[in-house]
Amino acid sequence: MTKDKKLVIGQSVKRIDAHGKVTGETPYPGDIDLEGQLWMKIRYSDRAHARVLSVDASQALAMPGVVAVYTSLDVPVNEYGLVMKDQPVMCGPGGDKPGTDIVRCYMDYVAVVVAETEAIAAQALPLIAVEYEDLPPVFDPEYAMQPEAPQLHPNTPNNIIAHYRIRKGDMAAGWAQATVIVEETYETTYQEHAYLQPEAGLSYIDEQGRVTVIVAGQWTHEDQEQIYHALNLPENQVRVIYPAIGGAFGGREDMSVQIVLALAAWKLRRPVKIQWTREESILNHHKRHPIKIRAKWGATDDGKIVAAEATVIGDAGGYNYTSNKVLGNANLMVTGAYEIPNIHVDTYAVYTNNIPTGAFRGFGAPQALFAAEGQADRLADALRMDRVAFRRMNVFQEGSLLSTGTPLPKGVTIDKVLDACAAEAGWFEEPAGLWSRPVPDLPEDRTKLRGIGIACGYKNIGYSFGYPENSHAKIELYGKAEIEQVIVRQAGAEVGQGAHTVFMQMAAEAVGVPFEKVKLITADTAETGSAGSASASRLTFMAGNAIRGAAEKALQAWKSEERPAVGEFVYRPPKTTPYDPMTGRSEPNFAYGYVAQAVEVEVDIETGHVQLINVISANDVGMALNPQLVQGQIEGAVVQAQGYALMENLISDKGRIKNPFLSTYLIPTVLDVPLEVKSIILEYPDPIGPWGARGMAEMPFLPLMPAIAAAIYNATGVWMTSQPFTPEKVVKALRQHGIGVI
Amino acid sequence: MFPDKFDYVRASSVDEAIQLLSQNEDAKLLAGGHSLLPAMKLRLADAPLLIDIGRIAELKSITANGTLKIGALATHAEIAGNADVQKYCSALAAATGQVGDNQVRNFGTLGGNVAHADPASDPPTVLVACNATIHVKGSGGARAIKATDFFLDLYTTALEAGEIITAIEVPNHSGHKCAYAKLEHPASRYAVVGVAVCLEMSGSTCKSASVAIGGATNIAMRSSGAEQALAGTSLDDAALNAAAAAIQADLPDDALMDDITFPADYRKAMSGVYLKRAVKAAIG
Repeated sequence: MTKDKKLVIGQSVKRIDAHGKVTGETPYPGDIDLEGQLWMKIRYSDRAHARVLSVDASQALAMPGVVAVYTSLDVPVNEYGLVMKDQPVMCGPGGDKPGTDIVRCYMDYVAVVVAETEAIAAQALPLIAVEYEDLPPVFDPEYAMQPEAPQLHPNTPNNIIAHYRIRKGDMAAGWAQATVIVEETYETTYQEHAYLQPEAGLSYIDEQGRVTVIVAGQWTHEDQEQIYHALNLPENQVRVIYPAIGGAFGGREDMSVQIVLALAAWKLRRPVKIQWTREESILNHHKRHPIKIRAKWGATDDGKIVAAEATVIGDAGGYNYTSNKVLGNANLMVTGAYEIPNIHVDTYAVYTNNIPTGAFRGFGAPQALFAAEGQADRLADALRMDRVAFRRMNVFQEGSLLSTGTPLPKGVTIDKVLDACAAEAGWFEEPAGLWSRPVPDLPEDRTKLRGIGIACGYKNIGYSFGYPENSHAKIELYGKAEIEQVIVRQAGAEVGQGAHTVFMQMAAEAVGVPFEKVKLITADTAETGSAGSASASRLTFMAGNAIRGAAEKALQAWKSEERPAVGEFVYRPPKTTPYDPMTGRSEPNFAYGYVAQAVEVEVDIETGHVQLINVISANDVGMALNPQLVQGQIEGAVVQAQGYALMENLISDKGRIKNPFLSTYLIPTVLDVPLEVKSIILEYPDPIGPWGARGMAEMPFLPLMPAIAAAIYNATGVWMTSQPFTPEKVVKALRQHGIGVI
Repeated sequence: MFPDKFDYVRASSVDEAIQLLSQNEDAKLLAGGHSLLPAMKLRLADAPLLIDIGRIAELKSITANGTLKIGALATHAEIAGNADVQKYCSALAAATGQVGDNQVRNFGTLGGNVAHADPASDPPTVLVACNATIHVKGSGGARAIKATDFFLDLYTTALEAGEIITAIEVPNHSGHKCAYAKLEHPASRYAVVGVAVCLEMSGSTCKSASVAIGGATNIAMRSSGAEQALAGTSLDDAALNAAAAAIQADLPDDALMDDITFPADYRKAMSGVYLKRAVKAAIG
């Protein structure tokens, strides 16, 4: 890595999108209108599991102002999906592919109406007559895994999308060495992304005859691929543009309105717009996976974890919205950031007729670490060891072997984030090597108890397990004797994290010009190569390396006096490998980020309310390219994780979401956030990160829930094992232990 | 969401409003608009005509002559900040100070709030505990209704068609220890349960107690069980626990409010907790 003084990176450059977003000038997809546009509304499934026998749109079509109704019969290739094309674009009769006439969740589409106004489209929607033949549904993933359960997809016996195994070491020997063994079952439920901007989009035929979709997503080129596949068009006939995106968090990785919008615009040759309501958004995009984990860990008297066993079952819902990948990651994360010689894990991703589940900040790690960190705490307590001291004995070191039997990439810093976090939280090491936990202040009010908890974790940066990771960038240098302008083409999605500002900082740094000379062209498949997704904490890392490579080439061309001097580069990180199906052996990832968090909570033992007094988040980000944006990511992740741990409780009843409103699905507001979030930004460079930077956007989400659970236990002596820790559940748990009884 | 179309007329006096109301059977009165308009936007309420009484000056005064008389159009913020209210009935000042948020408190009126009769709203609970009287006027003349007789059911009051609330009268409680304590809904800030207490003290002994609870059931209601459990005690832990048990027992099971976030059994348990908190706040 360069040792030169940094010109632009490392500075909290003001976001390029700040002014427009604050003043409201920036157009989001729902703000964009075209002359002559039509409006679309979607008819969703009325059943969790049924065969669609017929769809009769004649009454809807007879309504004045209705322009078209499209059904399964109108989709050229009626299938889509990010990792597996297992979902029909619209469910209904007439397909060549078996099963496209079956709805498998309430999110499925049966028809779309296109009308002159949104109101007419809405009125026409119920006029579409859909005839169903009910099929037996399955809502419990553990039941779905039984041979007698309804089979939801062809070629998926027992509804198991993926089964991963970890077989490391010798379990019998491990248990024989263990003097303490702890067992627990951990359960988590859905989480809604609750991004500010509900799904919206506009499709039209552009000046070159391409069907163009303006939408908010996370990966322009992947959206493009799924659209041209379903419409059976050549790649260059489909264009995807992202304007401002109102948050994503993984919730826009899979398709929402893209394909049906493109279909209608392509057929009608007129612009077509759609705007979802908040309710529609909550009902019709995937959620974080409910995961049930049974864990059994053992340790020796001197505090070494010697055996870990886990069963992990994730509810995928009706379709595989990256569930195989999410559970793959949970399979790795469920033994925590600890080097354990003997490990036995079975992980399953299972189809049900519930709402599909998929990518969400952390990608399976928050659920897995809830179990891993809970087990670490229970072992430490059983051994009467300090929880930090216990972790320090077991966390990964440079060269440690993962559960997959291969060493971590260089730059392992879990010990460093843990030390920094513990010290800030008041842990002290005296005498050297002997850690002690701080004792929280006891509130005067006898109905309140305080406790402190700490947890740590890690997560991959970039796509894993053999995925051909890459990111494209192009740099154009304009000027005569001096570089007057730098144009960087990088498609990475600005989902609110500040990526575009950082791309420009990195381009300026790589070329050696001031920030003001850089112009970014982005998020348009017609103007840029594929950046890959804004996910897996990968964008800065991948785009940064691509931009550096492109800048080097452009500078060479500049020296050769080419004007403009152009450099194009596709960054490909070190290769990874998939799990061995029997042993789990693999080289899962090329880079990781490390995090530790400590929290102090106040538990109201009468009401069950848990108030976060303060949160300390220590993150190794490698290099803070824009420290203010890093801090923003940390604070945002903490608040989102606080909601996950304490408030957010999406209720599903037989596959139907019962609280699709922000008045009933509670997320933290400014009145609920911690009194203080202290961000500790550590900079131990990643050997292959751009300027040493690591991805960091997911990591501050990961250990918060287990840290809160530990703090509640520290305060009350009661373990919460089922997320979220709502007042009602906390009160029940406390009263079962005789605490707070009136 | 937008409300359905409606007509609008502004009344400049109570009598004019009553006349307009008698001529337009389905019309609704618009005061601060902070209960009615949200309901209309959600299409839970609609009216062909809104009669705006919001600028009728005679309904805005707050006077204290032996009793506290609050004009129907006094806003929550005005009441919360009024020195006479703080003196005569501190619990009402506290409750109006906790309604919704700043915007709601600056626009919403006590008369509108009482007419709306949302059991999760804060002021009705205090009015019921403090033996308030609701003064109303219609084409047939004026009458006074006790707060305990005024709230009949969810969003249902003893107001007759064509009647307008003109004032809310609260006896002087300056010699009492009064308080209001609520568990608020995190999204709406409405009371999941809200408890108001007015305690008549003699030294450290509670001579008599008046207790009302809102949010838990369909109406703001008194708890005679809790009142009896507190009366004659020194308000020690045993008395508070007995009162907490009694208030739970007084809640009719078939009228308990219940939702996804706060199920009925949780609300019931919290009614006891917040009774204790209200008593503790009252005796400071």
